[in-house]
Amino acid sequence: MSAAPREPGADRDPVLEADTASRNVHQRFVLHEWIRVKLAWLGRLTRHQAWFLLIMLGASWGVVFESFRSHSWRRTVRYEFGVTLNSVIGGGLIATLFTGTLTGVAAVSQTIYWLGFAGLAKMTGSILINVVVREIAPILVGIMLLGRNGMLSVTELGLLTTGGQIRSMQAQGLDPFLLLVVPRTLAFTVGGFTLGILFSFAALLTGYVISRISGVITNPVWTFFYDVVVAMSHMDYLIIPLKFITVGFVVGLGGCLTGLTATSEDNLRTLLPRGFSRGLLIVMAVSVLFSLDL
Amino acid sequence: MDTRTVGPLLELNKAVPSFEESGLPPVPFSMRIMPGECVVVEARDASRATMFADMCAGLVPLDDGSVKFMGLDWATLKDREINALRGRIGRITRRPSWPEFLSTHLGIALQQLHHTNRPLDEVVAEASRLSEWFGLPGLPVLRPSMLSDSDLLRAACVRAFLGRPRLLLLEDPLEASPVDLENPFLGAMTDARDKGAGVIWLVRNNAIWQAYRQGVTSMWRLADDGLVAVRTG
Repeated sequence: MSAAPREPGADRDPVLEADTASRNVHQRFVLHEWIRVKLAWLGRLTRHQAWFLLIMLGASWGVVFESFRSHSWRRTVRYEFGVTLNSVIGGGLIATLFTGTLTGVAAVSQTIYWLGFAGLAKMTGSILINVVVREIAPILVGIMLLGRNGMLSVTELGLLTTGGQIRSMQAQGLDPFLLLVVPRTLAFTVGGFTLGILFSFAALLTGYVISRISGVITNPVWTFFYDVVVAMSHMDYLIIPLKFITVGFVVGLGGCLTGLTATSEDNLRTLLPRGFSRGLLIVMAVSVLFSLDL
Repeated sequence: MDTRTVGPLLELNKAVPSFEESGLPPVPFSMRIMPGECVVVEARDASRATMFADMCAGLVPLDDGSVKFMGLDWATLKDREINALRGRIGRITRRPSWPEFLSTHLGIALQQLHHTNRPLDEVVAEASRLSEWFGLPGLPVLRPSMLSDSDLLRAACVRAFLGRPRLLLLEDPLEASPVDLENPFLGAMTDARDKGAGVIWLVRNNAIWQAYRQGVTSMWRLADDGLVAVRTG
């Protein structure tokens, strides 16, 4: 008796067949289970899309919470805060004053000239506050913070994360959030306010000096600044500092989080563009949010 | 958080590490270290040795069982308690552990400055004394990248033994190290044990610890089927 030859493709794998059969078993439709699955899918999709935003929100609360706890301010945290503050303000002071001076030449003096030319000199203070101090200054200061110190944080923390040093810090009981993110973010916050005020002052003063030299205005400098201050509304006294503070806060936090969330597949080629684009987006988003009907 | 001052210092009770998180075999690990004991664990794979040390420090999630340090289960503690407890562990690791934005002396003293209220002068004085003990000319103040590998190893020893660690997780600093490091290392380890510290000494080569044979309490091997006790006699 000879066995019939096996035809190609006739081989049957009993394991695969059993697996396929088990999948094809008719399952009873359960409404609440179907809804749960769909909601889980929706949640996953939303979380994936809003992942960094959610991290930013959670970490923002964490920074604020930790900053009010006396136990958080250990000497290592104070040291990191001092070093970062020195780097942000001390390192960025000249660049900020220089940018403010250029803005004064390019924007403030031109505004004063054209408003005087159009016979709207009385609106000078109001327009300078609304355009230069409230809109231009936070964006330019935010971009300078991002470029000078934010990218440094992205690089430093990114390399620490991918290199394994962050894990080693955790093994020593050093919480990277407390030791690095909290003090750096708060230093950026103070730095954002300080540099923003200095930038605004430099821009207005330079604009006045240029206009005075060119003979567009003849008022003394005190009168000029008095007009600017008088043009500020009560809300401006709140919004302008808040905008500088928020820009510093989000640039610092965004840079730290971008670095800390780096994966083993990341390197400088992926980290730096991501950090810069996120930072720029954050600065613009804060600027727009504060401009919404306020 | 009440730590236990008597009983086992570190207790691995059928701890099954998460394979996805650690790469360690997902089998039960059981081991117990009393204060003053020195346990040698032979691990041929350096990354596994690091992960095993991580598991002892509560950095690896467990699928089952427990790891207790000073009577406290890592899994039941809050983040702040975990960090405070890890502040009592001195460690020499093969994983990169020197943040480049800090000078080496700050990297050495960071754990003590963060977790204790000891005066800075006292910490610096002890770090300087240990630096000289381990063969450095003094407390290194350069950036870590400016130091040679052997000096970084000596600095890592200083960092691990600084303060009064209750547990020492030592990933074989003597392998490929300068010969003159052996005696200071063994001396520092004996001194720490005399003060009540437990030591887990992870080695790749059994020849490394033969000079300390009399001082070793027990010997284990990190194998695919978990920790295997090895006779030392």
